[in-house]
Amino acid sequence: MRSERTIAVVMGAYFLVCTLAMIWPGAVVANRIEPMIFGLPFFFFWYVLWVFIVFVGTVILYRWEYGGRS
Amino acid sequence: MQDWWIITGITVAYLIVVLAVGLRARSEQASTLVGYVAGGRELGLVILFFIMGAEIFSAFAFLGGPGWSYGMGAPGFYIMAYLGLGLLPWWILGPRAARLGRKYGYLTQADLMSDRFSSKGLSAIIALVSVAAFLPYLTLQITGAGYLFEAATDGNVPFWLGALVAFVIVALYVYTSGLRGIGWTNVIQGIIMVVVAWVIGLAVAYRFYGGVGSMFREIQARAPEYLTLPGGGDGMSWAAFSTAILVSAIGFTMWPHLFMKSYGADNERTIKKTIIIYPLYGYLLIPVLIIGFAGILVFQDNPLENQDNVLPELVVNVANFSPWLIGIMLSGALAAAMSTGSNLVHTASTVLVRDLFVAVFKQDMPESRVVSLTKIFVLVLSVVAYLLALVNPASLVDLLLGAYGGVVQFFPLIVAVFFWKRATTAGAWAGLIAGSLVTLLFTFFVTTPFEIHAGIWGFIANIVLLVGVSLATRPMPEEHVKKFVEGSKATLEEIGETEASAT
Repeated sequence: MRSERTIAVVMGAYFLVCTLAMIWPGAVVANRIEPMIFGLPFFFFWYVLWVFIVFVGTVILYRWEYGGRS
Repeated sequence: MQDWWIITGITVAYLIVVLAVGLRARSEQASTLVGYVAGGRELGLVILFFIMGAEIFSAFAFLGGPGWSYGMGAPGFYIMAYLGLGLLPWWILGPRAARLGRKYGYLTQADLMSDRFSSKGLSAIIALVSVAAFLPYLTLQITGAGYLFEAATDGNVPFWLGALVAFVIVALYVYTSGLRGIGWTNVIQGIIMVVVAWVIGLAVAYRFYGGVGSMFREIQARAPEYLTLPGGGDGMSWAAFSTAILVSAIGFTMWPHLFMKSYGADNERTIKKTIIIYPLYGYLLIPVLIIGFAGILVFQDNPLENQDNVLPELVVNVANFSPWLIGIMLSGALAAAMSTGSNLVHTASTVLVRDLFVAVFKQDMPESRVVSLTKIFVLVLSVVAYLLALVNPASLVDLLLGAYGGVVQFFPLIVAVFFWKRATTAGAWAGLIAGSLVTLLFTFFVTTPFEIHAGIWGFIANIVLLVGVSLATRPMPEEHVKKFVEGSKATLEEIGETEASAT
């Protein structure tokens, strides 16, 4: 039971950070053109990056939830 | 051979494949209502994934999406942000909806809510609001299909014909094959959409600028305001941008078809796997936004009258691509419009028949009648939406915005169903109505305070009244509410075991 709670708290915090990174105030720090990465302006790249971080988070969460059972 | 023959030929070949696949899917299922609505409750991962992906990317991905980045630039990233975040609440809500659906045999979202709050009227309201959102949305898909057909063939296939062909095919396979037909056609359409979006996005950037990097360098030199917030054109403030992301992300899980599909999932892992892959669909927006950015400098001296036309204008009129490429572009854009359209027409007819007609007027209707009535409504709604597309009333977008504002307001009620035993019927009504009215008020009549999205104010009113009125009214019977809060805790797998041991 306690480990389930730990998962919920840790991953809840993780996705909260992801959300705040994509809106005010988190995204404010990324609101610039330089440096360009993969040919994309930094602000564009920021969203590409955080969408990936959300994806990684869901993979971790899934493994955590089902890892013990099979 | 004339160019438009090649373009039309490629597109017709694509349409024939979709139709054949959609009709063939029928033989794989029994024709009961459960089969027709929830895919027989055993949809596999691949189907579920493409159903969801293809239905979210509508004609908007090829018209409205590029329109955002062409018109304002950076504010268009809000679409990527909410697609990345939008399905996260479903991690909690989806399995619970699936469990209760399995236990009590729900087929729609309104089944669940009206059962919890013991109110048939609630079912009717949910049905009306949902259909009010679906019908204009469906109409916009048909309009998009007709418009793209006309633009790509230089007017040789007129608007009415292109729209008609695309949506007759949709109506046919939804009518005959239900959700299973949508599943298989969406697999094809999803793949075509993704490939086409990337091919066109990169082709446009190379054709006009010699590459994506050099395109953004040139925009940086000549119109840098488009690359950061608040953006070019009208722009968007941080408050408007942030709250638009939040409202869209929260409302995302409230579309009725998401519930219908979760009832069709074979296990909870499938639901969660879908959520895992889902953020990656946000990446389809990268090429789409690039196309819009490409238009900023191309049309700098004579801006387009309608910014949503930036993709067809660029691809068909300015770039001089080969007709093969234009034909493939048209197929991809049609795939987006048709796959979303098929989901919309399927959900809307199910909701109308089950949640409004059967739930309120004729609860004793035999299942076979419900199935055939739902099928008839697939045809009726397709015809209505097609006629609306021909007339194209300007109020359509307003209707969509207003109704979507209402759909978003289901969220607090759904959370209460699973987690808050104390919520009462009166509280649910008060919250839903107040939330919707406040959203409408700040969408259409009064400028929204602090540039915060109207839906956020709606949420605040909704939650305050849901909680306040619930606490002021008599609690609902403990036995009843336990069904939902405790009942949604046992996993699908556990429910399956009890069912097996009971028989």
